[in-house]
Amino acid sequence: MNKTLINSRNFLSIFCILASALLLNNSMAAEGGPCKDYGECDNFKYSLNDIESLQRGASTYINYCYGCHSLQYSRWGRVATDLQIPEDIFFENLVFDKTIKPGDLMTGSMPAEESAKWFGVAPPDLTLVSRYKGDDWIYSYLRAYYEDASKQYGVNNLVYPGTAMPNVLMALQGNQRLICKDIPVIAQNGGEKRDELGNPVTKEKCGFLEVEEGTGQLNKEEFDSLIYDLTNFLVYVGEPSKATRERIGWYVVFYFLIFTALSSLLYREYHKDYNH
Amino acid sequence: MSEMAGKLFSWVNSRLPIVNTFERHLSKHPVPSKVNFWYLFGALAAVTLIIQIVSGIWLIMPYSNTEEQAFSSIEYIMRDVDYGWVIRYIHTTGASLFFAVVYLHMFRGLLYGSYQKPKELVWIFGCTIYLAMMAEGFLGYVLPYGQMSYWGAQVIISLFGAIPYIGESLELWVRGDYYISGITVSRFFALHVVALPLVLIALVFLHLVALHEVGAGNPEGVDIEEYLDDDGVPLDSVPFFPYKVLNALVAIGVFMTVFSIIMFFFPEGGGYFIEMANFQEANPLVTPEHIAPVWYYAPFYTMLRAIPDPLGGLIVMAAAVAIFFVVPWLDRSKVASIRYKGIFSKIALTMFGVSFLTLGYLGTVGVTEIRKTMSVICTIIYFAYFLLMPIYTKYESTKEVPKRL
Repeated sequence: MNKTLINSRNFLSIFCILASALLLNNSMAAEGGPCKDYGECDNFKYSLNDIESLQRGASTYINYCYGCHSLQYSRWGRVATDLQIPEDIFFENLVFDKTIKPGDLMTGSMPAEESAKWFGVAPPDLTLVSRYKGDDWIYSYLRAYYEDASKQYGVNNLVYPGTAMPNVLMALQGNQRLICKDIPVIAQNGGEKRDELGNPVTKEKCGFLEVEEGTGQLNKEEFDSLIYDLTNFLVYVGEPSKATRERIGWYVVFYFLIFTALSSLLYREYHKDYNH
Repeated sequence: MSEMAGKLFSWVNSRLPIVNTFERHLSKHPVPSKVNFWYLFGALAAVTLIIQIVSGIWLIMPYSNTEEQAFSSIEYIMRDVDYGWVIRYIHTTGASLFFAVVYLHMFRGLLYGSYQKPKELVWIFGCTIYLAMMAEGFLGYVLPYGQMSYWGAQVIISLFGAIPYIGESLELWVRGDYYISGITVSRFFALHVVALPLVLIALVFLHLVALHEVGAGNPEGVDIEEYLDDDGVPLDSVPFFPYKVLNALVAIGVFMTVFSIIMFFFPEGGGYFIEMANFQEANPLVTPEHIAPVWYYAPFYTMLRAIPDPLGGLIVMAAAVAIFFVVPWLDRSKVASIRYKGIFSKIALTMFGVSFLTLGYLGTVGVTEIRKTMSVICTIIYFAYFLLMPIYTKYESTKEVPKRL
């Protein structure tokens, strides 16, 4: 048996080396990532137990996004309950249509046909956007708008070039532009490259996002945290039971670990009967 | 009271062979005393089948099989049905793990020659189960009616169109419409929840009856029936209960731990168990960026893509599954287990395993020139394993198999 393993291991390793060489080769010619011109998407770490963040996110969503983007699989009352907002406060401050009842779906207020005429494409429902686009993508996308006079709304997006959505959060973020920067050239030894006089050698590189100072109501940190809360809320709406799932998951796994331990003790005891 | 129950039991038992069947097939059924972990995946497959059937029954209750409501009824299950998300994730995780344990179970068969005489029928029933599972999995995947459901079905159904002469009408007949629609969804639903489960249960029954007739194998490839005790029970065997049951129980514990880690913490399996694009409702007007099958079909999908001609691709893909059925007659070796087979069998099986995994990986990523070449190479290795088997198993030198376990 041992001999077999050694043989197969040899072959496995040869194959793995071969395969990884080919894969490496491929990844270099990779088709652009999901965040397109932005490069790597920014990493987003959700925190569904941070109820305040979810509340702020819900408020931002309803004030800035819900006018166009429905959450058609989600119910008003469920959001209020999950986000621990007392129903009267929730309905007074976040639900503008007074005929809505807690059990109603959040079907949006804009007729799809009209909006398709206005924007060229009907704004999509966003209940599941965190599941088909991913939270990293949303977090990057909403922060990657920049000034582009050639576009209909004067803005474009690095993550989603040619996006049909105007930058509705511009008043908060300010005017973001694409700029070029002189960045130090990295030498072969890993340090910054310098010329004979000891001055750092730089090279102009473009594609950096920078907000024009004083144009937005929020500074960069505040805006990033606003988008964090908004994305966090979309992660919640994408799967309202996610926090519960991850909480009770520990108990279930723990149960099966105990189950495995006890059954293997029992098995070992019986195993003695025929295997000395 | 207990006397009454005893009387009732013996009344039934004299009319229905309860005790006899129970002892023969469960409690006293002799199984080889020494097996390794590879022999546990059959039991796990049975457990998964039960999980799928039970969770499936509960999913049918709130699911709606219409074009308008299929997708939203899944979200209804995920949000509004109490613990609906648990039931659905059990079913999606179960589907992937069912294939995982069945692939390992099949590999065990190749490793220890579990198809050799007299187990040919056990093997053939098993291959048929695998075939039925592939159909069952595909049909089920269409039901949530997401983008990948729709476009995956589009690709698979159009395969029928590649068949000469009858292709187009066959395609129409399967789909029930000129394009994939609510009609397709509701017939796939009927097949997924009634027809194929019946077929699967019947096949599993036959698989087990045939197995119990010829007896379970062992990693040494020793025939335990050669040495019997005075009662005619093989010396190298233990009764199914409690020994094998307890052994399986440990395996079930480990399996359920893995199962719950996936379903509670990684239910999408990184996009391999539930594809991200399937969280968007089916849209006939928008093709997803790249259409990839779920991981368990990926090796065969790669073969399909490796062949430029659609009919050729279809034939190769069908042959890749069909060839499993004839393995009992391709293996000409005197010994069953890889432990006693020669070096060529070992090399061939390793190459086969690696090429299968590589094909699987290639099926989930986009096509490039190098990947295409790799797909062709791996497809060739895959078939070479089977087609050269009569030669390398016949002429290689094998080791002596011990008499006893």
